Amino acid sequence: MLRRTGLLLLAFALAVVILFVVLRLLGNPVYALISVGATDQEIAAAAARLGVDRPIPEQFLDYLLQLARGDLGQSFTNNLPVADEIARRLNVTLPLTLLAFVLSVLIAVPVGFIAAWRSRTWYGTAFSAVSQLGGAIPVFWVGILLVTALALNARIFPAGGFPRTDWEDPGAALFSLTLPVLTIAIVSGSDLARYVRSATLDVLGQQYMRAARATGQSFAGAFVRHGIRNGVVPVISILAIQLSTTFVGAVIVERVFALPGLGDMLLVGIQEQDFPSVQGVLLFSTTLVLLLGFVADVIQRIIDPRLRASVSGNRRARAVA
Amino acid sequence: MIARHRRTRLAATIAAATASLLVLAGCAGGTGAPDSAPDANAEIIVGSQNEPTNLDQIFGGSSGVTEVFTGNVYEGLFKITDDAQVEPLLAAETEVSDDGLTYTFTLQDATFHSGAPLTAEAVKYSLERFISDDSIAARKSQLSVIDTVTAVDEKTVEVQLSSKSISFTYNLGYVWIVNPEAGDLTATADGTGPYSLGDYRKGDSITLDVNEDYWGDATANGGVVYQYYADPTALNNALLTGAVDLVTSQSNPDSLSEFEAGDYQIIEGASTTKELLAFNDRVAPFDDVNVRKAVYSAINREQLLDAIWDGRGQLIGSMVPPSEPWYLDLADNNPYDPDLAADLLTEAGYPDGFEFTIDTPESGVHSTVAEFLQTELAKVGVTVDINIITDDEWYQKVYTDHDFEATLQGHVNDRDINFYGNPDFYWGYDDADVQTWLTEAEQADSVEQQTELITQVNQKISDDAASVWLYLNPQLRIARDGLTGIPENGLNSLFYVYDIQEA
Repeated sequence: MLRRTGLLLLAFALAVVILFVVLRLLGNPVYALISVGATDQEIAAAAARLGVDRPIPEQFLDYLLQLARGDLGQSFTNNLPVADEIARRLNVTLPLTLLAFVLSVLIAVPVGFIAAWRSRTWYGTAFSAVSQLGGAIPVFWVGILLVTALALNARIFPAGGFPRTDWEDPGAALFSLTLPVLTIAIVSGSDLARYVRSATLDVLGQQYMRAARATGQSFAGAFVRHGIRNGVVPVISILAIQLSTTFVGAVIVERVFALPGLGDMLLVGIQEQDFPSVQGVLLFSTTLVLLLGFVADVIQRIIDPRLRASVSGNRRARAVA
Repeated sequence: MIARHRRTRLAATIAAATASLLVLAGCAGGTGAPDSAPDANAEIIVGSQNEPTNLDQIFGGSSGVTEVFTGNVYEGLFKITDDAQVEPLLAAETEVSDDGLTYTFTLQDATFHSGAPLTAEAVKYSLERFISDDSIAARKSQLSVIDTVTAVDEKTVEVQLSSKSISFTYNLGYVWIVNPEAGDLTATADGTGPYSLGDYRKGDSITLDVNEDYWGDATANGGVVYQYYADPTALNNALLTGAVDLVTSQSNPDSLSEFEAGDYQIIEGASTTKELLAFNDRVAPFDDVNVRKAVYSAINREQLLDAIWDGRGQLIGSMVPPSEPWYLDLADNNPYDPDLAADLLTEAGYPDGFEFTIDTPESGVHSTVAEFLQTELAKVGVTVDINIITDDEWYQKVYTDHDFEATLQGHVNDRDINFYGNPDFYWGYDDADVQTWLTEAEQADSVEQQTELITQVNQKISDDAASVWLYLNPQLRIARDGLTGIPENGLNSLFYVYDIQEA
């Protein structure tokens, strides 16, 4: 556990350094602000105002001190605190990610299970094929199809945007998130269904299932008592990865649906070379993904005592013993 | 009031949607609200792709901030009308000394949104701020003729110029008068305009509330929301589904057919955006007039305009669009004529052509234009290499370092023929006559004299093919039927919203 925590902190520190350095290799933020006609003096004055004319190590030290105070800095373009901006954008991105994730699990678990359990029937095969197909379609394409069908033609949902009053009217907010959530859920649900299917197939073929059935237990009883517990462990890490991917996938979906979320903040930040914004969003996302992996690890250890016992040992060997 | 209005509408949308879901999946779309008398309280939702980088014009707020704030939230001493005329705004009276160097302005009785009165001190502060060392405002250099600004009394400002400037009042039309007490204006605003800043949601929208204490005429609407879209398709979808009432600028002619078929008005006005193939006139072979003219004549610009803008827009033969006083119809001055191009190349000593690189920014239509030029020039034996660069690299490589042979760029501002008077400008056009004429024009005693001199410049740079002026973009706005009072033109991104009215 200690080692896992150490790795987490190391990954975070690396992220801080890499993000800072890579961004500075990308370009000069001054050019996003000036227009044709600017003189050399004006360009220099703008660089001085942003503080990007100073040596990189000096800028980095400032950044670290700032970060140590829990401050993500201010936007280069409009001076607003980056942390406040991230918090505002999370009003869109967090519900979008969580709803899409829950929906994709709700789709994936039954679809994947039936595809495995009834793999020899026509509908088992169909579920399997549909999940293959769904996972192969690019997310923006699904978005465009849904907008065309349900927003432009049927006029049921808005084609994009988010209420300017945020969640003051939860109905309106949910309404505007419906198509984006569906878009992500269709794609990541299909992905997840394939994992659930193979995990289920794996469990169904195990010795302990056959042994349980041989003792007279029903299939359902055997599956609930032995199967789920064994099958869920690998699925948990998949779920954590899936949740991270859903979060990252929201970037593209936010653009298609003109949602003012974190993804939009990131893309506009990159366009405007707004280093503090881009750094803030990426550091936040990286931390979130790292923490998700960490939490998944912890949960797996709680469920499966064999993992708790083995810090670095051979899991299979201990399980057999 | 406005928020409530909006919520009601959203609730209605939800109710309607739920109802239609319950009834039949295949039924036709909604019919919309019934027509009624003009509604001065209606909120107008403007869709735009031109989101300001920030809200301050002197800190690189970009043309987006002109579109949303100039004339709406902030006012200048003068106003540039939609047809490019100068009218007094916050300057109720103007006196100019005989030598043309001293301007005395008497101020309008106006107040800032915060309640502070408009004072001579505020004007002094605003003008000095605009030309300060920190400022990177687009028109700063034109206004650097300002020598001193003095607040004579509460309502009188005196401006001393270092040299005569006949465009001074015109240029003042773009300078916002801000409240000195407002502090950092990159995310807030305090002006004297008909609207105050309601809400600023970066990446999403800017809400303008009606200023009930406005000194001038009341607005024809109950507030305006600028809703920003990074993706052009998302913007069009918003218009098609009624999420926005109008679109300030349509950049994709392909999608016009969708609107031509429906209940929309398509407004084509005058623009000031010119697409240029700019040569580096300092380097061979482009230091030779004949080479530049040969390249010009090798390009079928009409076909290019058709390809890019579906025939909308206009061919121009110089840096000057028809909306400026010194416009000449020079579209055929360097005609499309491949034979002429070949002759000119031979004359210049390149009978077998030559090879050069176009550095093209990746944004906008430039790379498509570059490919077109490549095909056209190949027909006269000139080989074009295309080097696609980011906008950043463009500023560094082309604009600052002048390290290029030719480049593509869209120049959006009005009256920017002045750049040809600056030999240090990125394209390096250096002609002593042009420089003299432009200086004399700025110090002219009358508009007629100024116009005459710049007309000469116009003719000269066209004769010299200083650049290839490929075409003038059209200014296309699309609005749903029933909206009136929409400004037609898009000169330098100005867009006054106070006359827009919902029927």
